[in-house]
Amino acid sequence: MSAGAAVSTGAAEIGQSERRWRRRSLWALLILLPATLALGSYTPVKWLFAAKDLFPRDVEPGSTVRFGGSDWKLEAMLTTKDTGSVKLPENAVPVFVDFSVTIGDPDLQKLWTGCRITLADAAGRSWLPTSLPILRYSDDWSDCNSATFSGAAAGATLKIREAFVVPKDAIPTIEPTLGLGSERPYYLRFLRARD
Amino acid sequence: MIGHRLANLAILGLAAAICYGMQTSKPHYADLTGPIPVRGGMGDDVKARLFQLRVDKVEFAKILAVSEFGKDRTLTTGGIWAIVTVELAATNSTTTVSEATWQGPTGLGYRETERLAMVSGLPPFTVEPGLPARGRFVFEVPPSEISGATLLVSNERAFALDSQARITLDGLRLKPDGTPEMVADIYDMDEPIQ
Amino acid sequence: MFASMRSRVRAWITIGAGTVAAILAANLLGAFGALPEPEIPVFAAGQEIETGQWRVTPLRAFVTDQRIYDAPIREGQKALVLEVEMTNRTAASTTDYFTLFKHGLPVGEESETPFVMLTRDPSMTPELHPAMKERVAFVWALPESATSPGEIPFSVNTKTYKPIDNLYGVPGWYNEQELGRLVIPVSEASG
Repeated sequence: MSAGAAVSTGAAEIGQSERRWRRRSLWALLILLPATLALGSYTPVKWLFAAKDLFPRDVEPGSTVRFGGSDWKLEAMLTTKDTGSVKLPENAVPVFVDFSVTIGDPDLQKLWTGCRITLADAAGRSWLPTSLPILRYSDDWSDCNSATFSGAAAGATLKIREAFVVPKDAIPTIEPTLGLGSERPYYLRFLRARD
Repeated sequence: MIGHRLANLAILGLAAAICYGMQTSKPHYADLTGPIPVRGGMGDDVKARLFQLRVDKVEFAKILAVSEFGKDRTLTTGGIWAIVTVELAATNSTTTVSEATWQGPTGLGYRETERLAMVSGLPPFTVEPGLPARGRFVFEVPPSEISGATLLVSNERAFALDSQARITLDGLRLKPDGTPEMVADIYDMDEPIQ
Repeated sequence: MFASMRSRVRAWITIGAGTVAAILAANLLGAFGALPEPEIPVFAAGQEIETGQWRVTPLRAFVTDQRIYDAPIREGQKALVLEVEMTNRTAASTTDYFTLFKHGLPVGEESETPFVMLTRDPSMTPELHPAMKERVAFVWALPESATSPGEIPFSVNTKTYKPIDNLYGVPGWYNEQELGRLVIPVSEASG
């Protein structure tokens, strides 16, 4: 073999190995790009899950559920014709939702952050508690926020009542939901009794 | 050889031009995260992401009359008061609408007035789905910024990539010089919203 | 590339580099700071001042211990009031006027930020709208014991407009600097 031929076969081998590595790199991109995206979005996705009520957990009517370190029971969902001095628009109906909670872990300020009680109907609409003063003040009931900062001890039972104003057409399908900071993205959805 | 060199230079020049074009045409951060407009006219139901808005009427006045804590007060202005009556609804969940700007024909932005603190029917509005509510936005604007104005309404003042209702105020009755035909002397803010 | 140039060009570049380096070094060491400072313009009451964001005409200044324009001046304080007529020359409603005037009196940090009152209502911290002239009072809370000189050289400050800022690419007004001095007599008023 002449020196030139040796060089040319050596060059051909190097060429082959280069091509092989180039191909491997391109295939590796197929794995690396999604992996980078996943790594970069891991933190924002974690924050998103910690901030929103995304996945419901259904609760059978009448049952007690452990949530946010305490036992929750939906006592009643009522409406009333008497709204005191507040005049509501034509097709608006007030709804009161009552819970009774037996405190398990008393660190409420950490477990119950961002307590969010809503009414959700079958069409996907949801209502937050109203700011209208239709809830008459009472020593027995407090709203979820006041309950979080009430400093209640383990074993105590708190009564929580929230008032909502919803349109009449939503009444047949609304169900109360409960979201707590420590349990997000899961939230409780209290099913209505089937009658 | 010469042909090769020229071709190389040409490709280099083209690549430089493309890179430069991409650099100068890149949208700025403010445009990438700016408001997403939802347009409409007066009387149209404009559907933004969290709320729905319809401008019912726009009235003008020289002086506003309010009564706060039992005392009557009048509010004067160097321009004209524009009172926009709207109907608001929430699309899916309870939401707050707090920010409105009157954008004049030349792009000057007049934010909703803060001088009427204690009056009802003014922003921030809490709207519930299925329960539309009527409210008023009040602006003080110079008479030259009325013809061809747009109303910009959004949930909050600082927001990114959220929808903003942009309603062209095309149904105003104006004189040939662009000022409104009807300017009330005094507008009573305590009258219920019609 | 350097090696292929003709020797004359090379010589010029070498000389030039030395000169540029000398000037830079001198600049860094403060030679240009020793030049005489340009004159600071002086404004008088009734004169229209263009600061970029604002077109201001100062009207009068006075010190009072009475309640003025509903400004929240506490007991044991007196008010230094500067009344102006000003127009917003920017494209949006703004409240960026707190550093427009500075009195420069040695009275402590608390008296540095004025209460800005719209004299129409009166109301505090009004949002001033584009192209609308309003009469505004800047009220500084001075301690009772502060002596009020007959004349105060208020410093008038301005900001420069950047159509695209470095962080978000939005227009804004940055880099506050002194535009001039407003020398205005300060009277003792009783309200």
